[in-house]
Amino acid sequence: MKILAPIRSHEELEMLAASGAEELYCGIVPQEWSDRYTGAMWLNRRSPRGGSVETLGELRRLVEDAHTRNLPVFITLNAPYYTAEQMPLVLELAGRLSEEAGVDALIVTDINLLRRLREASLAADLHVSSVAATLNSEAVRFLLDFGPRRVILPRSLTIAEIETIVGDVGRQVEIEVFMLNDGCAFEEGFCATTHHHSVGAFCTSLSEMQAEFVWHGPVYTARRRNWLRRNLADYREWVWYVNGNGCGSTARGLPYGPCGLCAISDFLRIGVTSLKIVGREASPFKKLASVRMVREIRDRARAGAPKLAVIERARALRQEPVHCDSGYMCYYKVT
Amino acid sequence: MEWSIHIAGAEDLADEPTLERCAGLEPAAPLQPAVRLAADLAAERLGAVRFTRCAFGNEFCEHLLPQPAAFEAAICAARASGLRFTFLTPYVGNEGIRRLRGLLQLLDRMEGGEVVFSDWGVLRVLRGEFPRLVPVQGRLLNKSLRDPRVMGIYAETQPDNGTGAATLAALQRSNLDNASYTDWLLRLGVAGVEIDNLPQGIDLGFASRGLSVGAYLPFGFISTSRVCMAAGLHYRKPDKFQPGAPCRQECQTHLVEYSYTNSPFHNRDQKFYLKGNTYFFAHTEAMTRSLLDQAAGGRIDRLVFQPRLPMMAS
Repeated sequence: MKILAPIRSHEELEMLAASGAEELYCGIVPQEWSDRYTGAMWLNRRSPRGGSVETLGELRRLVEDAHTRNLPVFITLNAPYYTAEQMPLVLELAGRLSEEAGVDALIVTDINLLRRLREASLAADLHVSSVAATLNSEAVRFLLDFGPRRVILPRSLTIAEIETIVGDVGRQVEIEVFMLNDGCAFEEGFCATTHHHSVGAFCTSLSEMQAEFVWHGPVYTARRRNWLRRNLADYREWVWYVNGNGCGSTARGLPYGPCGLCAISDFLRIGVTSLKIVGREASPFKKLASVRMVREIRDRARAGAPKLAVIERARALRQEPVHCDSGYMCYYKVT
Repeated sequence: MEWSIHIAGAEDLADEPTLERCAGLEPAAPLQPAVRLAADLAAERLGAVRFTRCAFGNEFCEHLLPQPAAFEAAICAARASGLRFTFLTPYVGNEGIRRLRGLLQLLDRMEGGEVVFSDWGVLRVLRGEFPRLVPVQGRLLNKSLRDPRVMGIYAETQPDNGTGAATLAALQRSNLDNASYTDWLLRLGVAGVEIDNLPQGIDLGFASRGLSVGAYLPFGFISTSRVCMAAGLHYRKPDKFQPGAPCRQECQTHLVEYSYTNSPFHNRDQKFYLKGNTYFFAHTEAMTRSLLDQAAGGRIDRLVFQPRLPMMAS
């Protein structure tokens, strides 16, 4: 079970490799795209300056040096859709990424792009992004027609659901799951909003809005009103956790936010291929700390430590039991 | 052009489903003006509305999949009313696929008809096991952004040349813009696609390529989740908000109205509505008029009137 880490520049390579990253992923936005579209239309779900390698030359160097360390590099072409005007540019970019830069896989959401890349028969493998919202075994089987090497499951699946999917199709395709750092209050592939800086994320924006309950059930008593209000407050607290504990960090600077460390023993048993750390745009320190945490827990589980001991160590690494105990910082409910 | 009415169950068809009667079905007072406005504008622009089809089910929550008895009753009521039948299906986990199989068997056995899919796994089941049922791509698989906080503003303020125009044109489209994609859907036996009306305007240039186009009014979806706020009501605090957790359909008793008073733009009067696991917005008058104009111009084959937020249990 590999550890997949985000990277956005060649400078981060040595640090990530030394700390335990075994696969890397990044984005790139060519100048032609930025010249054609404003910041409201993103090529790869990140602002062009926010989380991408800057030039094809730098990417080529990154891939070459990563390969000398036996680290494959995957690249995101994961916008929810591309229009007819955009498709030639994206296909040409995919060809250059595969054949010139030598990336190992293209991470794709749009099923039309997936089809077109399958037809193009590039050297790079295809990974289906979590944004494709592949939530069941039948959906994975449908996607197998396009020859992906890997499917990244959305973070909204439970351990039991992941186990069923891996049992059904795990021999035909690799399965990657989320492990650290980025939550989404919604089903990412079915969220039609933007995170554009002018308005921010819809989920956190809602927490700042006035909310009124419109009741049309049995008699609306004060008790019911309070019940709804308390639940809304709890939900807003959950969204705060989903949003990286308000984008916070521990006193020692370790990253907060959604976490799947306690589920690693289960994922090892199930046969998950790769554990994804989110955050192309994050600071190098956050990436480093994240990789180290995942590596330590994965290695303990792999060495045969009992599940409860692994969980205990994971909680200790997070350093803030109050957040673990909230139940709201976990990607997966471990039983 | 065809008119379809989204029903909550057989009881909606106990009397003739006229536009006038259906426009009064929404129980939540804040939503009633939007439903009324859409009904009035539709009658004004397109003349008398006569429903020849009904839609049943929902696209957003697998916990709201109908009970087999209610499903069968809805099919029978549609038949008795002379309405063609469309079954709306949500995105689902493996358990949802299992439950859907039972309902699809029932539909296949009784009547046949159309099934709107929001999940590629559901399409695979339809093609492999129910070739008599007609698949239609649902609006959740149309990935155009429709964030009502900013998309309408964006359309108003972008310059009509250069990068602004190119960006707006891309925002008004989706992958349906690609002939290679619509051709592929046709090869798979997909008969049509459904869309939401977009705050930034919608480009229906793909409409002439053989797929029928259906559009919803007066509500569009914003976002949806496997984590449901309403479902949390009956859990202890640490156990709330777990993806896919069983619920008691608490969403059927209430909705939440959000006021966008913190908008950085002039649209501080906007409202968003949370029903169960999904957020919706109501079309503005301008949006509705634009959609009806497209329908009058022959770009839309079907309008689906939803007199309630589409999150009904049955």
